[in-house]
Amino acid sequence: MNKNNSQEYDVIIIGGGITGAGTARDCAMRGLKVLMVERHDLATGATGRNHGLLHSGARYAVTDPESASECIKENMILRKIANHCVDETDGLFISLPEDDLDFQTQFIRSCVEAGIPAEAIDPDLARRMEPSANPNLVGAVKVPDGSVDPFRLTLANALDAKIHGAKLLTQHEVMGIIKEQDRAVGVRLLDRHTKEEKTYYSKILVNAGGIWGHHIAELAGVKVNMFPAKGSLLIFGHRVNKLVINRCRKPSNADILVPGDTISVIGTTSDRIPYDQIDNMCVTPQEVDILMSEGQKLAPSLATTRILRAYAGVRPLVAADNDPTGRNISRGIVLLDHEERDGLAGFITITGGKLMTYRLMAEWATDLVCKKLAIDQACQTAETLLPGAKKRDNFSLKNATQAIYSEAPLSLAQKAARHRHGSLSTKIKDKNEYEDSMICECEGVSVGEVNYAIEELHVNNLVDLRRRTRLGMGTCQGELCACRGAALLCAKSDNPNAVKDDLADFLQERWKGMYPVAWGETINEVEFTSWIYEGVYGLKPEKN
Amino acid sequence: MKFDTVIIGGGLAGLTCGIKLAESGQKCAIVSSGQSALHFFSGSFDLLSYDRKGAEVAYPLEEINNLSDHHPYRRIGVNRIKELLSQVAPLLENAGLHFQGDADMNHYVINPMGKLKPTWLTIDDFSIFDPMIGIPWTKIALLNISGFLDFHTRFVASGLASSGITVQVKYFAMDSFEKIRHNPSEMRSTNIAKIFDQETVIDEFIQRVNELSEGFESVLLPAVFGLFNSTVVGKIKRGVNKPICLVPVIPPSVPGIRSQITLFKRFQALGGKYFLGDSVESGTFQEDKLLAVNTVNQGDISLVADSFVMATGGFSSLGLVASPEKIYDPVFDLDVISHDKRVDWVDKNIFNKQPFMYYGVKTDAAFHAIKAGRAIKNLYVVGSILSGANSLKEGSGAGISLLSALHVSDCIMKADSKE
Amino acid sequence: MKNKKPYELFNISDNNFEQCVKCTVCTVYCPILAVDPDFPGPKQSGPDGERLRLTDPKYYDEALKLCLNCKRCEVACPHGVKIGDIIQAARIKYSKHKPTLRDTILANTDFVGTVSSAFAPIVNTAVALKPVRLAMDLTLKIDHHRIFPKYSGMKFETWYKKEAAATQDLYPHHVSYFHGCYVNYNFPQLGMDLVKIMNAIGYGVHLLEKEKCCGVALISNGLIKQATRQAKHNIAAFEQSVVDKGMPIIGTSSTCTFTIRDEYPHLLGLKNDTVRDSIELATRFIYRLLNDEKIVLKFKPDVKLKLAYHTPCHMEKLGWSIYSTELLDAIPGVDMFILDSQCCGIAGTYGFKKENYKSSQLIGKSLFDQINESDIDFVATDCETCKWQIEMSTKAKVKNPISILADALDVEATMKANGVVLKKES
Repeated sequence: MNKNNSQEYDVIIIGGGITGAGTARDCAMRGLKVLMVERHDLATGATGRNHGLLHSGARYAVTDPESASECIKENMILRKIANHCVDETDGLFISLPEDDLDFQTQFIRSCVEAGIPAEAIDPDLARRMEPSANPNLVGAVKVPDGSVDPFRLTLANALDAKIHGAKLLTQHEVMGIIKEQDRAVGVRLLDRHTKEEKTYYSKILVNAGGIWGHHIAELAGVKVNMFPAKGSLLIFGHRVNKLVINRCRKPSNADILVPGDTISVIGTTSDRIPYDQIDNMCVTPQEVDILMSEGQKLAPSLATTRILRAYAGVRPLVAADNDPTGRNISRGIVLLDHEERDGLAGFITITGGKLMTYRLMAEWATDLVCKKLAIDQACQTAETLLPGAKKRDNFSLKNATQAIYSEAPLSLAQKAARHRHGSLSTKIKDKNEYEDSMICECEGVSVGEVNYAIEELHVNNLVDLRRRTRLGMGTCQGELCACRGAALLCAKSDNPNAVKDDLADFLQERWKGMYPVAWGETINEVEFTSWIYEGVYGLKPEKN
Repeated sequence: MKFDTVIIGGGLAGLTCGIKLAESGQKCAIVSSGQSALHFFSGSFDLLSYDRKGAEVAYPLEEINNLSDHHPYRRIGVNRIKELLSQVAPLLENAGLHFQGDADMNHYVINPMGKLKPTWLTIDDFSIFDPMIGIPWTKIALLNISGFLDFHTRFVASGLASSGITVQVKYFAMDSFEKIRHNPSEMRSTNIAKIFDQETVIDEFIQRVNELSEGFESVLLPAVFGLFNSTVVGKIKRGVNKPICLVPVIPPSVPGIRSQITLFKRFQALGGKYFLGDSVESGTFQEDKLLAVNTVNQGDISLVADSFVMATGGFSSLGLVASPEKIYDPVFDLDVISHDKRVDWVDKNIFNKQPFMYYGVKTDAAFHAIKAGRAIKNLYVVGSILSGANSLKEGSGAGISLLSALHVSDCIMKADSKE
Repeated sequence: MKNKKPYELFNISDNNFEQCVKCTVCTVYCPILAVDPDFPGPKQSGPDGERLRLTDPKYYDEALKLCLNCKRCEVACPHGVKIGDIIQAARIKYSKHKPTLRDTILANTDFVGTVSSAFAPIVNTAVALKPVRLAMDLTLKIDHHRIFPKYSGMKFETWYKKEAAATQDLYPHHVSYFHGCYVNYNFPQLGMDLVKIMNAIGYGVHLLEKEKCCGVALISNGLIKQATRQAKHNIAAFEQSVVDKGMPIIGTSSTCTFTIRDEYPHLLGLKNDTVRDSIELATRFIYRLLNDEKIVLKFKPDVKLKLAYHTPCHMEKLGWSIYSTELLDAIPGVDMFILDSQCCGIAGTYGFKKENYKSSQLIGKSLFDQINESDIDFVATDCETCKWQIEMSTKAKVKNPISILADALDVEATMKANGVVLKKES
């Protein structure tokens, strides 16, 4: 067997979601030689398909105290290490007339026990704090919820892994696990671009494939039974609420409304789906109706707010019993040492958990990797800032005044870029008028930002570019910006015709989220977009 | 306020109808809620460019016979269409718009993907190509103004290259454009066109084009010339020492807006009244007749007319509106042909034939609108709001607008002379 | 049977900002964008910006003050997005810019008017003098090219009380007249012309209870509190006229009329629905009577006029220029054409500011060219600031349609034809 030493790693991490990226970062920071492989792009699975809620843990305080206390600890850590990905909005748990107010008492008690600052506030104050909340509310509790951008958080972890020497391969699908006797020693990968097969070797393989980890485990010949529970969400066209709004009751359908970036997200539903359906999920009209009607109970103005998209994710829960909703399963972290469990050395699975606890999951997995490799290095991911996060100096009037007066007035795109990339935005060339020109006018994405993303942020195509920059995530869903973005990609590509196909894929990807909500302005907009791209431009689905 | 005919919708169909009726002496009004889809016009009017399988059509009049019975063309009738076609060119010419091409055989134009596309009539800004010959040049210079993000030179170039043409892409800057570049979102086709409209830059521009295209057989440029000033394109074409071929860009469309303004002025010169930025709120019906309409701006002063025409367009012009429950006509709640359930409105693949594209207001054989099952005998329907066509996939949008408008105008005049 | 829209509202946001489908048509018709690249444009300042400002107020850009509030973007928008309202509402909500002394002076058209009218000969001479204009340019940044509109020695209100008030109750029908600052301080003749026409068709003209300036200049200069105060006062006066006395309100200025009908509720958030539909331009009021065959107008036999009608921005937004042009067309001997509808560049107080002078003249250039190339006796328009701008920038004289109508009207014949009989004074 061709064992090329230059391609041998201490650890190969399978999966480019938040768990994989977080684990890659932790391993790399502890000095390991790391390879992370991902079939599509960073954060394409469940990581990017949830609320983006920076849980305070309050939601689980009553039903799952362990998760709740993990959440609040990680919440505080993320506010520090990933402040550029986090929006510290705070959250409200509101009780409506039909809700049991006694639950509120139990809820606050459980929060306090889990270490979550929860404070009952006067309904009038709640209405003033959050004008979009249902004015019929009879009770409200304030908790330190917030929102977090999962794309940027994953990217920041991946970038930090890279800074610490890790190698990242996106668009590489695991076709097989290479075993020698009772040991997993490497992976066979398919490069989805070149269609080449490659092999890489390592001392340890970490299965961080989320719901797809079920399949990865099968490739290794072991069984990890995942419980695919689909959750659907709706994106509203603008930021409706300032604070996260939850229902103060046992977790149920569509009871969280999260403001994130320029939009608000309502979710989720919960339904068990067959494992073979996890790659082609679509949101049903029934789910859309539930989300709309339940959402309006949280914030009545949602009834007249434009819906941009519908999407669904699959919770990577590990099956335990036959609960049809998947809701009573612990969100707890599952770390499997397959050497102990199945007699397969060199293979571990990290799964369960949630976006909020990714860092802790990564820490557990890395601890086990280090133990196996007999490396004695402490985890530093809770203290070390992620790339882009800003150091928070002690506040002084002098510093604040300097900050105000030293900075030249920023253009819209510069403001938006600073918001998205934090301190890394200094790498964006946006000083001259051409570079500051806007590609995406809805979200304020400049030529400079797109070029930075193409050059430095691991972009393979237009859809990746969207995740890095928010290009095409505004109300027009790519109508004006898609071809401008494609033109910049084209300028750096040697195959313009492939970029045209990529543009077609991008439009199809946008449509996937639009067709379940294709009424009102969405259907108008898509007709207009089709006229531009198919009618005027003559774009075809493939072989352009 | 009393008119002979009130037309709701001021796009290609509405203006054609208004001009035709006004030319024959009718007093007409057009109510248009904002500017029309002509603002996104590619520069070519299609009659029928693709057959039902998506293959290019060479002889559109022959292909009409293969369309479904519900298609507006079939409802007008092929022979009638042949008669109406003879009215199109004079109507446009008299308005001051010059088009090339005819209905017997489609010609080709270059699209922004650098591919040839079959079409019927093309405004004289653009170059047309004989389907037998194709593009006659082998070496083309493709020029763009630097910083203009809505013209994608490498797309055009790669498309042309696949037909064996050598294309060289060149960018150039001119001081006159630096001012708009200062604005991060406004380096748009129309704002560039406004600078050319002032004519002071034309000589320098021609000189630059001639320098940069030296040694090439022709020069490709983005279609950004002549917005409010219709002489710009001619001046540039005369000044550049080789054939110029314009390529459409991302909307707004400069030739489209010029066409809209030209048709609007023709209508106004014929005595037509154009209510821009106004929309019809309600109508007064009596049995099978519409007596009057009321608009947002005119309030209690009704627009009274003998005949009315619905030319309100498709979804993107708000001629049809979809709520989560149903698809409806927002003006009069006329009967609409559509699927009941919203899952059936769409196809999961954006590039497939979308069912909603075929929807429209139900009419009888004489193009009278139907409301609650009853034909309204003085309310006619024209243009994109007609059901039965997928004008995007067929390449039939402008043809349906022009021909249904002319057809209905004739019907209105005949009804008028009977009374 | 009237047919109303049968369906529930959905996807309706404030000022319809989410209805924008990014078609960019508004950017084509923005007068300011074409001359001043510092203005982000209606799409970016309006619906795009609103979405970002709702995300974080830091996205507010003081450059929004460059918006002329001409509403031509709204007229062009195919999707009913109230772009102009979005921009003005954002300025009211987010702007930290404090109005300068100059802005305050320009905005307070009625206060300045009162003071100036009292000293009209001195003020007129003074503000017309070059050194004074240069001094105003330097100290107040009011452009020295601008000659302030002349202040009349006698206010319209004073004239009305002296010459007209006594007889108005004697007419069979009655209206209230919102004369506005221009008629009161600068050009009482227009008010007199209106009284002449209305009396001839049997309508007594009454003043409102202590009319205040409509406030359009206060709003555009950011003096919102004062604008709101004046608007509240005016709405109360309108209600007194319309609701209590049953007298509709007519105006002769398209901008004042537009402001009190639409800007009060849209920008100042003040309810005026009890009176809104009873406020209109005099030309529309007269047109309706003519159209309903309730009155006839008799004209002097020797009228021969070549006119060009200029559509003021707020007239375009109201959609009412048809009433003025149809009335003018009804005068035998009038030969009229309609100028291309575009902004003249003055936009109320905008053009008076030194920093805007150049842009202001550039915006109007093609209009001025079209006027200068036309063989006409007058330009007709319903807006007083358009009149100043066009008279300053072209060789043409500008008249309000009401004045043209009044000059052409045969008062006696009209009264006779309409059977107007005055009640006996009691």
